[in-house]
Amino acid sequence: MNIPARINGRAVPLDDAIAEAARLIIASRCTVFAGLATDVAGGAAAIEVARQVGGVIDHMHADAALRDLDVMRRAGWVVTTPAQARARADVVVLAGPGFDTAWPRLWDDLQLDRPPPLFPQTARRVVHLCPGRIAAAPADAKLSVLTIGEDAAELQPALGVLRALLAGRPVRSDAALLQPLHECASLLSSARFGVAVWSAEWLDALSIEMLCGLIDDLNAKTRFAGLPVAPGGNAMGLAHVGGWMTGFPLRIAFAKDPPEHDPWRFDAARMIDSGEAELAVWISSFAPQPPPWRRAVPTVSLVAFGTKFRSTPAVEIGVGRPGVDHASVTFDFALGTLACKQISMEERPAVPSVAEILHRIGGALPDASPRPC
Amino acid sequence: MLTRLTGGRVIDPANDRDGPGDVWFEDGVVIAPPQSDRQPDVAYDMTGAIVLAGGIDIHSHIAGANVNTARLLLPELRSDPNMAAVPASAEIGRLYIQMGFTTVVEPAISPHVAVQAHLELASIPFIDTAILTVLGNEDYLLELLRGGESKTAIADYAGRMLAGSHGLGVKAINPGGAAAFKENVRTFGLDDVVPRYGLSSRAIARALQQAVLDLGVPHPLHIHCNNLGMPGNVETALATIDALGDLPLHLAHLQFYAYGNDGPRGFSSAAPRLAEAVKAHRQVTVDIGQVMFGQTVTVSSDVLRQFNARGQAHPRKSLIMDGDGAGIVPYRYRRTNFFNAVQWAAGLELFLLLDDPWRVFFTTDHPNGAPFTTYPDLFALLLSRDLRAQWIGTVPAEAMTVTTLPSIAREYSWPEIAIMTRAAPARLLGLADRGHLGPGARADIAVYRPGADLAAMFRHAELVFKDGRLAVRQGTPVETLFGRTLSVRPGFDPAIDTRLSGWYERAFGTLAGAFDVVPDALGVADRFETVPCRQ
Repeated sequence: MNIPARINGRAVPLDDAIAEAARLIIASRCTVFAGLATDVAGGAAAIEVARQVGGVIDHMHADAALRDLDVMRRAGWVVTTPAQARARADVVVLAGPGFDTAWPRLWDDLQLDRPPPLFPQTARRVVHLCPGRIAAAPADAKLSVLTIGEDAAELQPALGVLRALLAGRPVRSDAALLQPLHECASLLSSARFGVAVWSAEWLDALSIEMLCGLIDDLNAKTRFAGLPVAPGGNAMGLAHVGGWMTGFPLRIAFAKDPPEHDPWRFDAARMIDSGEAELAVWISSFAPQPPPWRRAVPTVSLVAFGTKFRSTPAVEIGVGRPGVDHASVTFDFALGTLACKQISMEERPAVPSVAEILHRIGGALPDASPRPC
Repeated sequence: MLTRLTGGRVIDPANDRDGPGDVWFEDGVVIAPPQSDRQPDVAYDMTGAIVLAGGIDIHSHIAGANVNTARLLLPELRSDPNMAAVPASAEIGRLYIQMGFTTVVEPAISPHVAVQAHLELASIPFIDTAILTVLGNEDYLLELLRGGESKTAIADYAGRMLAGSHGLGVKAINPGGAAAFKENVRTFGLDDVVPRYGLSSRAIARALQQAVLDLGVPHPLHIHCNNLGMPGNVETALATIDALGDLPLHLAHLQFYAYGNDGPRGFSSAAPRLAEAVKAHRQVTVDIGQVMFGQTVTVSSDVLRQFNARGQAHPRKSLIMDGDGAGIVPYRYRRTNFFNAVQWAAGLELFLLLDDPWRVFFTTDHPNGAPFTTYPDLFALLLSRDLRAQWIGTVPAEAMTVTTLPSIAREYSWPEIAIMTRAAPARLLGLADRGHLGPGARADIAVYRPGADLAAMFRHAELVFKDGRLAVRQGTPVETLFGRTLSVRPGFDPAIDTRLSGWYERAFGTLAGAFDVVPDALGVADRFETVPCRQ
């Protein structure tokens, strides 16, 4: 297969594109490795190259991943896996909107309209708090879902009322909301093993923290656990790679040793819009997605075939899709863990992975001292 | 390349060797001194130094989703050189090799999260590694046991899970406890039963112990008992030894079970009683899980215990994961705290009262009792009664009234250290080419230069060779190398795959194989090495 490689939109041999990418990285005083939608090997390679040049790494779904992680590392939480939720949850709370995009197969994967397989005699109850305009339940769902509120903005107050009701405190709330919340509170406290699911793509940190607080409260008497839906683009896979390579999740800068982590300072979009970053290495291997920023910054793009850019990247190299074009490890959110994806040899076209391209770019860089970023 | 280490005190208990002499190695393997007048390509004058095989740590939490989540929870604990509770992978390898350790076992990986553990192990430089596969709380296993399935069926299941997760052995952690916690059980002892299954912890542990034997896995069942950390829990450990000590059994971090409820605060060391029981059961081995003072984080699959320990978190935050069971609770052991001082003393008592170094293993249950970076200080405490007396003078006097530690004069000898940290662990894990310096041994070698500061000597080995390559000189790594991952591949009836997949699809909506470690996908297929099982 002919690997699409372009310099300023002009087709070139792959070797030339790699040499040009290395030249741009060497010339840049501050390079951000952004997008980072790649497998574990690609993420590790990006961290290695960023370390070589004192760059910054960020991920296209870092905002959502860090909203969850910030609640986790500030307050802690009680969570479970999708497998446990499916197998044993008798009460499932879907909190907030967005499941249709964050986890389109949620209803099927968790088999919500059937009894939990480990408790076939138990009817499953589902509550959807503030679902927005599109409910998670399919139109033909056999199960009636207790739906409370609409807009995501109502979620925080609803969770507050629920916590107060469960703690036996007096509450004042909209009567139309209060009655179903009473029903919900009694459902939650009588759950045997309840699970609350949310997508951080759609909730603010305070709502997530409030929900985790509710789960904590419930565990005083019964069992309840949270199930954060992993953000897209293998963000959790990358956060874990960052963890074992540096101790930090996403948004890490390698200008200093040890590296630094700052969710605001090392936000790629902010760094590019403010002019701090001179070069972006944009990585999107699962889907042909262009970078989101509007400022024209020189960009080296390692992207899935068919990506349409707003402005022509300085270097563009086509890369394979993890688990489709090459074997890979990614965070599988239906399994709730990193998992291997093999492909058979016959299916394997000669298309390089993000890791292979980054290793070659890294190999073309001199051993230079890191630059301030 | 032919290498000769000349004139050091070579201590190699597996080969009954202790005295000045040479060690020769070539192509990564120790060889007999050449008969001809072949000259070495490199020679090192080791006069006055002590030459040992590379150290082997059988129980240290260095990888996996739980350890890594602890890194994300507490990034401040990654880089303090002396109290690095959760260092990054590259640091783990560097810190271990500098101390002369060349093989380290991560002892608590559920088969469902083994992929991440192996990726992390593959990124740890210098040392060879392995995982123990955690079994004992899975609904599938509990269904087999409830259904009265044969020993063979249980062994097939354990063999399949070892194969999928590439484990070196089987670990049981408060067996049944995590399953019972999902049913809202809050305390769980040896004879408590998992609701719905009617199975006691004792029965689950026994079944797994038997399965390990039937599979021929060299390392016996590695058990983390019930009631960890609770006053009076020595009774649990004694009952476990009584129940399972007639067959090979390894008890992990025994210190955490050496507690009586005597004395002014209802908390005391029961180490002497426990030591007597271990001595009386020749098939039982133990590691200590020594407590050392300072900030750390406890990372454990004993989710029930961790849930109950949340109130003691320092700083005040904790994570509980209900999948296969895991809890992360930061904790600070204080020198001035009565309870922590008793824990510290109980561990040392066990080390010193158990007089057979072939059955006692050197651990802090990193990072649960203390980070492994405290090993040098712990070695020094074992070697010097004067140093122990100094430390005893710094802890609450009241705590020393409920332990026999101040009365114990024993000091470990170098040969005992060599047995406990080299020869014995290699034998326990079934690693025939490690832990000794006889011909055919892997040339994993650590050389120490004795001096007044014992801890400094252990923290920075003079020379360390890994597979015959010089990895450390004067306590500093000279070249980054990568080791291997060790696992067993016991035989089992492949029909288990069909049964297991049917069950997984029904309960979890996925194939059982979806969780398997695929070395090719990890990109490190050449790093895996198989340890033979007994026929």
